[in-house]
Amino acid sequence: MPDFLDEVEACVPALRRYARALTRDADRADDLVQDCLERAIRKRSLWRPTGPLRAWLFRILLNVYRNDLRRDRRAPMSFPIDTMASEPPSPADQPGRLALADTARALEQLTAEQREALLLVALEGLSYAEAASVLEIPLGTLMSRIARAREALRALLEAPPRLRTVK
Amino acid sequence: MTKTEPGIPRDTLHAYIDGQLSAEAHAAVERHLASHQEDAALVAGWERDGHALRALYGPIGGESVPPALSPHRIARQGHGRPTDWRKLAAAGLVLVAVGAAAGWYGRDFTEAGQASTATLLDKAVAAHNLYVGEVVHPVEVAGAQDGHLARWLSKRLDRTIAIPDLKPAGFSLVGGRLLPDGRGPAAQFMYEDHQGRRVTLYIKPTLESGESSFRFANTGPVAALFWRDEGISCALVGELPRDELQAIATQAYEQLG
Repeated sequence: MPDFLDEVEACVPALRRYARALTRDADRADDLVQDCLERAIRKRSLWRPTGPLRAWLFRILLNVYRNDLRRDRRAPMSFPIDTMASEPPSPADQPGRLALADTARALEQLTAEQREALLLVALEGLSYAEAASVLEIPLGTLMSRIARAREALRALLEAPPRLRTVK
Repeated sequence: MTKTEPGIPRDTLHAYIDGQLSAEAHAAVERHLASHQEDAALVAGWERDGHALRALYGPIGGESVPPALSPHRIARQGHGRPTDWRKLAAAGLVLVAVGAAAGWYGRDFTEAGQASTATLLDKAVAAHNLYVGEVVHPVEVAGAQDGHLARWLSKRLDRTIAIPDLKPAGFSLVGGRLLPDGRGPAAQFMYEDHQGRRVTLYIKPTLESGESSFRFANTGPVAALFWRDEGISCALVGELPRDELQAIATQAYEQLG
């Protein structure tokens, strides 16, 4: 199945990016992607996905991610590793590092549902239809989730600084 | 926060940012923004946040990928971490028989963790036996409302449950119900073929990760296949020959992923 593996390989950079934005932890993100790939390859021997491969892979990644979160809820408190210090420096014409750090923190304060949806569209550039299929929700639900996520993010960033930093 | 002017709904402004509008609709929003500063400021703020997200995480998409994440390598290594059944699974699904009638309640289960499997089976078979004979109310929610059923049970189980379509095996969905299982909920889906034979699919959330192979057990005429998938444990129960049950279970397994 070389074609399948090549197609999966082409999606890996996007999966890593999305996983990193979800977790903000480079190691954890790559673990998620590895679990996702193992699972996809295992399922592949049984099933030729009918839908687009990219959406299918994102769906698997999210399932693995959510299951991890459920386990974390039961596990002793763990502190998320803030990877801001190792984020790539931004080009000069981009928002400054501090502004980016604020955005990253605000993103963390969205609900998981909002974060998952917004990142699929705003970071990964998926169409609404594709994102709705990844999240297995109706298109209308996806659209209101995106709207609420984006408005919540903005509200967090417009809030006075001392209210902004929670973690 | 600013209110959107009449004529352009909020959703449309978001769709505009996300490039989801037709060329005409896109142009109409642009014209609107040119003459409505408040909306223009709103959109500019959202776009700035979008740029920030892409500046933060976009570069990761350009990094070189660690060798461990090469799909070719993962496939070659027989699916990586040698924790459980994965090597076996490389050759396809493996059926493991865990005992005949005597082993039903777990006396044959020797490995750790299998007590919970026995409980799962116990509950799945009990639920099967209780409801499969019901003519008037075999299910809580009929299969015709499968969208509603899937959303409802996904919410109650805190898992995305895609109700498997077993028509290729000749079984159509009768419906489903929510059941208690220990401290948590479980879902049962019932299917029926044209001869009126019924099978039930029992799904319970689990915090265990990874998958297991298919396992088979039977007691009298009732047989069950059970397995664990990412985040869920499943059992397919029915008075069917093992081969047939396995064909159906394989279809369910594929669609539940």
